[in-house]
Amino acid sequence: MNKNRREFLKVGAAAGAASLVGFPHIWSKNSSLAFAQGGEIKVGVLFSLTGTTAIIEESLNKATLMAIEEINANGGINGLKITPVVEDPASDPATFAEKARKLVLSDRCVSVFGSYTSASRKAVLPVFEKQENLFWYPTLYEGRECSKNVIYTGAVPNQQQDDFIPWLVEKFGKRWYLIGSNYIYPKEENNYCKKLLEGLGAEVIAEEYVPLGHSEFSSVINKFRSEKPNVIFSTVVGDSVVALHRQYRAAGLDPATMPMASLTTSENEVAAMGGDAAAGHFTSAPYFMVFDSPENQRFVEAYRSRWGGDKVTHFVSESSYFQIHLFKQAVAKLAASDISPLAIREAVKSEEYKAPQGLVKVEPENLHCWLRPKIGQCKADGQFEILTQSADWLEPNPYSAYPNQKCTAEGLKEV
Amino acid sequence: MSGKVSRQILLYGIVCLAILLVPVFVEDAFLLNKYARYLIFGMLAIALSLSWGYAGILNLGQATTFGIGSYCMAMFLKLKTVPIHTGSDGLPDFMVWNNVTELPWIWMPFHSMPFALLAGILVPALFAALLGWFMFGGRIAGVYAAIITLAAMVVVNLIIIDQQSYTGGFNGITDLAQFEMAGFTFDAYSASTYYLVAICLTVTLFLALAVSRSKTGLILQAVRDQEERVRFFGYDVALYKTFVFAFSAAIAGLAGMLYTIVMEFASPTFLGVPLSLSIVIWVAVGGRQSLVGAMLGAVLVTGVQGALSESEAFLETWTLVMGGLFVLIVLFMPKGMAGAFEALARRFPKAAPEGGARHATEQAPKSQPHLGGAL
Repeated sequence: MNKNRREFLKVGAAAGAASLVGFPHIWSKNSSLAFAQGGEIKVGVLFSLTGTTAIIEESLNKATLMAIEEINANGGINGLKITPVVEDPASDPATFAEKARKLVLSDRCVSVFGSYTSASRKAVLPVFEKQENLFWYPTLYEGRECSKNVIYTGAVPNQQQDDFIPWLVEKFGKRWYLIGSNYIYPKEENNYCKKLLEGLGAEVIAEEYVPLGHSEFSSVINKFRSEKPNVIFSTVVGDSVVALHRQYRAAGLDPATMPMASLTTSENEVAAMGGDAAAGHFTSAPYFMVFDSPENQRFVEAYRSRWGGDKVTHFVSESSYFQIHLFKQAVAKLAASDISPLAIREAVKSEEYKAPQGLVKVEPENLHCWLRPKIGQCKADGQFEILTQSADWLEPNPYSAYPNQKCTAEGLKEV
Repeated sequence: MSGKVSRQILLYGIVCLAILLVPVFVEDAFLLNKYARYLIFGMLAIALSLSWGYAGILNLGQATTFGIGSYCMAMFLKLKTVPIHTGSDGLPDFMVWNNVTELPWIWMPFHSMPFALLAGILVPALFAALLGWFMFGGRIAGVYAAIITLAAMVVVNLIIIDQQSYTGGFNGITDLAQFEMAGFTFDAYSASTYYLVAICLTVTLFLALAVSRSKTGLILQAVRDQEERVRFFGYDVALYKTFVFAFSAAIAGLAGMLYTIVMEFASPTFLGVPLSLSIVIWVAVGGRQSLVGAMLGAVLVTGVQGALSESEAFLETWTLVMGGLFVLIVLFMPKGMAGAFEALARRFPKAAPEGGARHATEQAPKSQPHLGGAL
């Protein structure tokens, strides 16, 4: 015991000495190093290739890599090749944070494209904000974020709901049942939905949240049966959405009188649950695979010839794809020696690109995208039929449910 | 015997010194941050080695107390940030998102740093003491105790995800201030944070060693090997087991607090099943009856894991490769690296210089592994 204590003191003293030697090494940003070196620009690609969200994130990884290959095949950006550094964060927020650090600090990537869930975005955010790097997030999400270090190319609530909710009220009626997974995304979508419904004089007869990964919906379906809502607004995500659709169909409920309306059910989810279970229900999104445009035709063909003829494209893989092209346009405006994350951010403001969904634009104030929402009805073959699309592109407003707050280029402002 | 003890202390000291010297040679911010993370995992492995290797309590929920510690630190650092839309003493952003209008009482004391630091260690310890008292008082042992620890973790995890107005739910607690203490700012990427972790690890390792070498430690090892016999001797077995269980939880809580500083967020995945099972694997690989072995096991496994997942060749198969390696290690090195190392040392007597130690080995070969060996 005595020796133990003495040794302990010795180690403590050594530790003190070591820290005295070590402290001058506190890291300083080596900002003098150029980002574009040796004829290449390094970018990070951060989608889970293993773990629970791997299936969807792999499709985003593929769309991202395809866009990079396309650009490189056409001569790169002003002669510079884009070199993707692919990392697998394994669907785990802590690994996301670790890999983001590697890409930003060790690989010195000028931008990182990635992540699907809000939890993983929140995990990587401090890295990009502290190191003044740039993160490109392709997924639709709940809004209420105003980071100066993220370009958001997915939809926020107002873009998916502004057309969708009035359209559903008019077509089906005013008794609404809100069902969602229990986390922040469904709650925020519902906050905005309730606001819209109130303005339309519609009634929310129930608002219910099930745990993430929940797969037993018989009691929920019994409530659908007894309450007879006109519309079921579903923000159930992941595996649960597959279970919900299948059990809805098994219970013999009819989408023609009690449709489910979703913001997250894409071709990808439909492929998992089977077209039969999804047929008749509605989704609002900026992009559907069947959308008829020359850009989309090219995108779908290229995707299938690159990754396999049975693959589907969907509204998150589409934004994963077009955000690389926005990146390219922004970098193309810069001299090679000026390329840096913040220069790219400034250059991408107001940048427009003819995406598969139509022309999109980066809003300079909040770094979200102007998008072209559409309403689709699912068919038994697993594809959607596009019923309407918004007349013009729709402004992104990440604080749509909170009229007294506004995301501006200077940060969040009280209005 | 005393020669062996001093050799052991010397070995532990050398390992700790090597860890403390790392920032002298490594300046890269990313690497320092990564290594600090590995060392925190090393602390978790020490915690599990104490309860599993020394007392025979397989804790499949070690991440519970780790997570609680991590949340205590996150709550403290969250209150230090200035929320954008509610001003300097406003509510954390996620509470505003969840329509909470005033700071919940449970958050109030986390304005104070001493409270938060104590809570990060004592809350996990009390939680474990309570759970341990019920389990060991009820003479629940072995696989049943393991299941209870696992179930308790799932419960805590679900509560955190469900009570999102108070915990941030699935997204966890993000956007934290930097930890500041005694005039130092602990930036996650700085050598100062690395030293903080390394010093905590050193203290933990020697405290754990002291416990394992104490009378309590001997009784615990006896409990592990022959619980009934120790009880017949008149020892309060439940008390000893509860003590080591709570002590191990306190270490995990401290590790959790450091993890929040290094990762800059807290997440419900910190108290998830995957992390808990990983800890078991690290300890099994390192050698569960050796504190320093378990610690090095954690550093090695997470290091290899990081390197494999970063290499292009294994990008899509690294989880599979890791799984395969674990199976091989458990099959061929049941006592882990520490066990293999000792077996080697025994086979080549010259590598083990002191006659006294060898003498002890020859006289009582069976007792050797029970005492944890030289490692």
